[in-house]
This record gives sequence, C-alpha cells and structure tokens, in this order.
Amino acid sequence: MTDPFVQTRNLTKTFYEESRGEVRAVDGVDLTCSSGEIFGLLGANGAGKTTTLRMLSTVLRPTSGEAWVMGHEVRKDPERVRGNLGFYSASTALYPKITARETLRFFAQVNRFPRERIESRIEDLIDRFGIRDFADSRVEKLSSGMKQKVSIARTVAHDPPVLIFDEPTVALDVLNAIELRQIIAALRDEGKAILFSTHIMSEAEQLCDRIAIIHQGRILAVGTLDELREATGHHYLEEIFVHFARVRDPEEAELESLRRDRP
Amino acid sequence: MDLRQIWTLYRHEIRSALRERSILLTSIILPVVMYPTLLWVGFTGFYFLEGQAEAMNTRIGVSPVPEAHQALVDSLASDPRIEIREWSDNEQAAAMEIARGRLEALVESMPPGEGGGALDGNRTIRILYTEVREGSRSARNRIEQVTDAHGAQWIAELRRDLGVSDTVWADYAVVMTDQATAEDVTRFLLAMIVPLLTLIMVALAAFYPAIDATAGERERGTWETLMTVAAPRSNVATAKYLYVAPFGAVGGLLNLAALALSIQWILSPMTNGVGEEISQGGFPLSAIPVIVAGTALLGLFVAAGMLVFAVFARDFKEGQSMITPFYIVILMPALFLQSPNLEFSTGLAAVPIVNVALLLRGAILGDIPFLSGLVTLLSMGVAVIAAVALAQFVMRREEVLLGTGQGGLWDFLTRTLRRGRNGA
Repeated sequence: MTDPFVQTRNLTKTFYEESRGEVRAVDGVDLTCSSGEIFGLLGANGAGKTTTLRMLSTVLRPTSGEAWVMGHEVRKDPERVRGNLGFYSASTALYPKITARETLRFFAQVNRFPRERIESRIEDLIDRFGIRDFADSRVEKLSSGMKQKVSIARTVAHDPPVLIFDEPTVALDVLNAIELRQIIAALRDEGKAILFSTHIMSEAEQLCDRIAIIHQGRILAVGTLDELREATGHHYLEEIFVHFARVRDPEEAELESLRRDRP
Repeated sequence: MDLRQIWTLYRHEIRSALRERSILLTSIILPVVMYPTLLWVGFTGFYFLEGQAEAMNTRIGVSPVPEAHQALVDSLASDPRIEIREWSDNEQAAAMEIARGRLEALVESMPPGEGGGALDGNRTIRILYTEVREGSRSARNRIEQVTDAHGAQWIAELRRDLGVSDTVWADYAVVMTDQATAEDVTRFLLAMIVPLLTLIMVALAAFYPAIDATAGERERGTWETLMTVAAPRSNVATAKYLYVAPFGAVGGLLNLAALALSIQWILSPMTNGVGEEISQGGFPLSAIPVIVAGTALLGLFVAAGMLVFAVFARDFKEGQSMITPFYIVILMPALFLQSPNLEFSTGLAAVPIVNVALLLRGAILGDIPFLSGLVTLLSMGVAVIAAVALAQFVMRREEVLLGTGQGGLWDFLTRTLRRGRNGA
C-alpha cells in the first residue's frame, strides 16, 4: 500500500474566547487520504471541519498533534505543504480586477509551477474548464457559474496532488453544484487526493469514497458508506450521522430514548 | 527570500491596484490635478469677486464739513465710483443704514480730539463702516485713498504757511530696508509649506493602497485565497509593502511637481509674474535630489506604518478608522515647522518624520547640516526597517490572518505582551 498523501495524528486546535474561555475546536483528529480518493468530512456547522482543513492548509497552526501533506509537516514546512495542495472554499474568492487568464497565471507562478510549462498549462485549464469564451474578461464581469469554473481552475493551476474542498457547494445553485461534483469526481479519477467537507448528507453519499463523521471537534467514525451502514444498521447517511452523534452525547441519547418510550 | 516570487506577488498587487478607480483617483490623479485646479479656481474666483467689487458703486454719506476741507468732499465726488449722499441725520441712523446695506460708509468731520487743534482748521475725519460687508470694506478703502491724499495736501499747505522747508521737515525719518530678497522670502514661504504638503500627500497617496492591500483583501474575500498560496507570509507582506510604499512616494512627488508647475503656469500669468519668481527662485535645483530622497523616505516609512495599522481591519470602513489616528500623528511634526527658529539639530534629526520635514525645509533654504542629514538617513532607515519588521510579524499572526482578534494594533500588542508575560 502506498503512503497516504494526507495524514494527521492527534490533530488538535484550541481557541481562546473572551466569553467562552478555552474552546477545543478540533480534538485529536486522526485521518488519512490517499491518491485517487475523496475523503469526506461530514459534520454539522461548527463541528470542526473548516478548522481541520485550515490546519491542513497551514492557514491555522495546530495547538498539538501533527499533520503531513505529501510527507511535509504543516508546522515545519508550511510553504511546501501549500505548494502541494489546492484549497477551495466559499471564502476563497477571486481577484475581481484581473482576468481569468491572469488569475490562472498568477496562481501557477506564485505556487512555483515550472515556468516553461505555465502557458501550456493555462491553455489546458482554459479548455478543460470551458473558460475560453471569457478567459480575457475581468473576474468582476463574470457570472457566478463562470467564477466557479475559474475558481476551481485556479485551485488546480499548479497541478497539486492534494485538493481541499471546504463546503464548496454551499453558495451554489443546483446545476452549478452538480457540475462541481462532477469536476471533483474527475479530479479524483486523475489520482488526486481530495478532502471534501460538507454538511449535506446526500453530497457525501454521492461523492465520497470514505466518510469521517465529525462532531464537536472529534471524529466519531470513519469508513466507506457500506462500512458505516454495517456498523450502525442504518441505511441512510443522515441516520448514521445521528446514530454516532447520540453515542457521543449519551445524555442526549438517553433523553431522546425516554421521549420515544413515553406512551 | 525568493525574489521571483515576491516579484510575482508584487506585480499581481500593482496590476489590481492600477485597475482600481478609487486608488488611481486618490493616489495619482488627485495629487496631479489638485493644485492646478485649486489655484485656477481660487484665483479665478478671487479676481471675479474683486472685479465685481471694483465695478460696484459706493454710496457714501457725508456730514457737513468746514469750508476749509470742502476739497475733501470734492475729491470724493470726483471719483466716478463714489456716490455722495449729504448726511444730516445722527450717527445711529447711519449705522443702521450701513448694517442694512443701504449705505456703504459715512464720512464725518469732527473737531480734533484731546491734544489736537494746535492749528486752526485741524479736524478728525471719521469713517463709519462695517468690516463684515464687502461693499463697506471697499468703501473704506476708497475713502482712505482720498483722505490720505487730502491730509498730505493739507499738511503741505500748513508747512508752507509756517515757513517750514522740505529739508527741515524731512530731517527725521525712519526708513525700513528689508535685507531679504524676493527670492529669500519665496524660499522661506516654500520652506514652511512644502514639508507639510509633502507629508499630507505622501500619507494620502499611501492611504488607500494600504487599506486595499489588507482590509480590501478581506472585504473581497481574497485574503484566505492568498494565504493558501505556496509563499512565505514574509514574501506576501514584502510584496504588499512594495506596492504601497511607491504609491506614497510617487504620490508625494507628483504633488510637488504639480505644485511647482501650477505656480509657474497658472499663478504666474494671473499675478503678473509673481509665480514665475517663486518657481524660479524658490526651488533651487540643488534641493530637488534631497526633496526626492526625503519624499521616498517618507513613503517607505508611512507605507509600513499604515500597513501595520490597516492589517487588523476587516473591511475598508474599519481600515479607514484604524489608519486615521496614524495619519494625524504623522502630520503633527509639521507643527514644529511653524517656528522658523527651530534648528535642524542632531537631536531632532533622530526623530522620524520630524527629521524629514526639517530636511525638506533645509533643502529649500539651502542649509542642511551634514551630521543632521546623516542622522536623518540612519534614523529613518532604522524606523523603516522596524516598521516593516513589525508589519511582517503582525501579518504572520494567526488572529491577524483570520481577522479573529478584537481591536487594532494596540489591543494586539497588549494581548501579545500579556501572553508573553504569562509564558503562553
């Protein structure tokens, strides 16, 4: 078996908030993601998905634990980590005043894609993502669907082996969301290791090869959809998620059980 | 440090900025067109109002004067711009008419006051007018011209009657001789205003780029995009600094150039060559390299300072309010220059901003002590390096990267020091 492209060990992040004191946003997360795999992080809002992915992308520094991307540790070698991944989320917008082509060129250059291959790479991306008609238009003039295409193209501009998609469909309409899922699946087929976070159960069901259920900063279960079904006896991911969340919150599970048993 | 990567980041910043209308307007266009526009509008308006006042007829009430001074009334009446009205009513009535704008002034001839009247016919001429009305002020000026001429004539006649010759009369006189040439005066005035204007324009030109490079990124949602590229944070900070600093320096220099050209091309024709004298004499060629260097130093320092303040802001509005105190503080040194006696001492040369302001003043006056100039360079160099280092330090901090920290620079420093003391 080949080494995973992404690996974390006991990854933890603690924030300090004036009102709440110390908040453990991510608590001892262990995960791996290999080439040609879409690894889903499924959890409710505030579960710790984004914090985990931000640590992997080195935007945040882990409080403790370790994480590697293509063998580079996130704290020791953050530039190499970022050079080996593409990060896409609803909060990673594009520069409005530059064109789609300039956007791709900038991200390829700054992420140290080989100079002699940059122009051919840009042309490939323009064709692949159907950008040609608006390649020389400023991003501010593009529709949201066009922007989405440019945004994904800029994420993969330097051809990173690891891709992180943090709730990528959250602001998209149905058609754009379907198109995005198709693109992500195609990238997986090319051998990319993809970390995909979502709170939409159907999306995780359709797309992810393995799913981690994350709740209150901890990963409660990891496995393929079939493995999770087998472990819980539930068919639908929504039921599986609720099952694990209750195990995590026994008091709440007990109250729920009492409510159900009441005549 | 990867210079190629910094260059890529820098080109990206500058390309976006040059396509941003508000940045171009405040940093490039405003400094260039402000002086020509202000001077043209100001002088056109001034001459227009002056012309209107000149063409206006002045209504002057004149109370009865003794026969010996009838010439005064005749002189007033001979001025076509003056309309004489015989006034027999009391002074309060005249004051009311002047206040209402129905009369511009009243001329009264009264017996001389205490100590006067040694000679027959001596009189005190009182002009009643109001300073708050342009027409009334203009009337006073016109009356004064006539009364001065009449007074001189009256005294000359008295002198002749008393047999006092012109030689005896002129035996005691005070003559003022200003040693300063017109060029000196011009330089002095420019030395007062150029440092202040340079400071203002450098700060103004760097203001929007500094916000755009930091809070602007957050507002557009591109901050996190940038933070996930394979560049060290220090390279990102350096590229942002290289984008903001030249804007400040170039904005300041463009402004000075526009000022010089405006004086020569707009002020000079309008003021019969006064502007030409200023532009030729006031800006000695030897001052230009010093002014360029001083403006560049200011740009380097102000850009770093503004980035440090603006990086905490989450949007443009917050960026403006966070930078404004810094903007005001750096303009304070200009107050120092209001005292012409202030020496460009070695001590003052160690104070950033103040030293550059004094350097610019010295360059225009042609007087820069070598040691003070050297200390200025060293002091500003240290200040710039410290400010850039602080900007890079701040930009590497997680709470700043994510914009999750509360408050601005001061709160950040307080929190960081507290954490350091607690060993966290």
